[in-house]
Amino acid sequence: MRARDEMLTAVRAAKPAALPRPDLAAVSRFARAENLVAVFAESARLAGASVLLTTRGGVDAFVDSASKPNERRVSMLDVDGVHHDATADDFANTDLFVCEGVIGVAETGAVWLPLSRLRHRAALFLATNVIIVLEQSRIVNNVHDAYAAIDVAEEECGVFVAGPSKTADIEQMLVIGAHGPKALTVLLVEG
Amino acid sequence: MIVDHASAAEKFNANPERVTWHDATLWYAREKRDRAAAEVPEWETLRELASAIKEHTLSHLDEYLVMFERAAIANGAIVHWARNADEHNAIVHGILHSAGARRLVKSKSMLTEECHLNPYLEARGIDVVDTDLGERIVQLRREPPSHIVAPAIHLKREDIAETFVEHLGTEPGVHDPLVLVGAARVHLRERFLAAQAGLTGVNFAIAETGGIVVCTNEGNADLGVAVPPIHIASMGIEKLVPGPAELAVFLRLLARSGTGQRATVYTTHVHRPVRGQHFHIVLVDNGRTTQLGRTDFWRSLKCIRCGACMNTCPVYRRSGGHAYGSTVPGPIGSVLTPGIDLQKYAALPFASTLCGSCTAVCPVKIDLDAQLYRWRQVVTKAGHTGRMKRTLASVGGKLLAHPTLLAGAGRVARVVSRIFPQTLTNRFAGAWTKHREAPEPSPQSFRAWYAANRRGKK
Repeated sequence: MRARDEMLTAVRAAKPAALPRPDLAAVSRFARAENLVAVFAESARLAGASVLLTTRGGVDAFVDSASKPNERRVSMLDVDGVHHDATADDFANTDLFVCEGVIGVAETGAVWLPLSRLRHRAALFLATNVIIVLEQSRIVNNVHDAYAAIDVAEEECGVFVAGPSKTADIEQMLVIGAHGPKALTVLLVEG
Repeated sequence: MIVDHASAAEKFNANPERVTWHDATLWYAREKRDRAAAEVPEWETLRELASAIKEHTLSHLDEYLVMFERAAIANGAIVHWARNADEHNAIVHGILHSAGARRLVKSKSMLTEECHLNPYLEARGIDVVDTDLGERIVQLRREPPSHIVAPAIHLKREDIAETFVEHLGTEPGVHDPLVLVGAARVHLRERFLAAQAGLTGVNFAIAETGGIVVCTNEGNADLGVAVPPIHIASMGIEKLVPGPAELAVFLRLLARSGTGQRATVYTTHVHRPVRGQHFHIVLVDNGRTTQLGRTDFWRSLKCIRCGACMNTCPVYRRSGGHAYGSTVPGPIGSVLTPGIDLQKYAALPFASTLCGSCTAVCPVKIDLDAQLYRWRQVVTKAGHTGRMKRTLASVGGKLLAHPTLLAGAGRVARVVSRIFPQTLTNRFAGAWTKHREAPEPSPQSFRAWYAANRRGKK
């Protein structure tokens, strides 16, 4: 407790004169994209994702075509909620992981995936190939709208995902598939 | 050890081809930043807002720290307070020790670099693996990172290939980044799955909700905290933002400024431990409060560590990050580190042309060039400048204050520079003339020219 109290006392003595909390009303007047689906698709592709427009009925066929019968597939479309008994090792050799996003952000091509959509926190990162299903009506304009639409603190954790994992740490050369998935597809379904 | 930026940069400059590559590669990142910023019509409004939000938060930092702590504890996190690096390291070791954890995976955290956590833990038998690819490369090479976003930017693929042959068993002569990244992926995945604890840095901490936010492209922070049963998040106290609405402003600026991406691949939010996991947050001061109390420099704490000021800085691009001898290099490092040890880092505020390019790209509008200039006054008053610089400045000051003396000195200089070769005169002019040639001396002074051509004319 001594460290805490000392730190707070020191901050109190050092901080500059109070400045007001900025009014964020301006963000509601920022530019809006006409076609959210098209802008989302462009942003997600820029981030290295594949984007496909389809219908709810087309999802199963696409998922089947994305993995061979002998490959390990985990689909959140078949099960409900977090699986607390699952361990990371259960997902270590997953070839394909399928889940459904809560919202998408046109500006960045990112999809919001709270823990309840992932079954296990590591599933999204250990699978080689990831498919995210997202309803086209769930796409919002920009990052401001995204945080207005979700409750970041609702679940233990949550992640905005834009594209497959990547690195440019060797000579700034972009390589897809650093630690996480090597490929990521967003299926934008009507509805 | 006193940091001598100019001499350290000379080592980096020994290989002109590499310097040219380094310069061009970072400038390319700057160009990507320009394109990404230009896509956003409200870019300048966002910068204004981001700056004002940080200034507001810093001016109420004690209140926001208490608010954050309360919310985090209610969420089930364990909150620790560390006044300095030693306390931070002891807290982290204490957590690992009491859990019997000996294998730690770390995702990029400049704060733990600043605290020298790795050697502290290694000396106590903990196996620490940095999991960001660039960080892992420099860790294997026993080097510090040279850039806060691209830690291995000072290396070429051949250097990295050599390191991997030695430590990862890759084939000698294989330089292809695809192959090297593939080898690192296999190597690090084993470490992730075997880890007993994961440590991450923090990009933003949300005071109202008690959560932390980590931004990565590789996914290493997520794997590092998703697998092991302990998550330790180490953060400087300046990382706070009031609420999620404010967070959005910074997330629009961070990736665009740093790498020219619209967003990082992963923007990860952690609020509560998942079942069976322990979630620790360590709040670290380590000199930040002292900086907060400095009227001329507290705004440097607004920094969100995007790296844009490094990418654009003509001195950084040509001297490399290691020349700064500090955890955070470049313009922002040169503003932050003199506040930690003025004598040691006295040279850094001078490692700048004061061109202001850093200030122009800073997403939170830190007046970097002005702060560098102000640090120069502080360094000089404290007597930490070299004898040559002091003498020249004092002579220069006298000359500029006395028009007759200045005119006389000008006459002498014009004669001297005509008679003696530059190689001789340059020896008295310091580092500035090492790679430059002075222009041909003018036959007359400006005053003589003005009297002959302009006086009395419109």
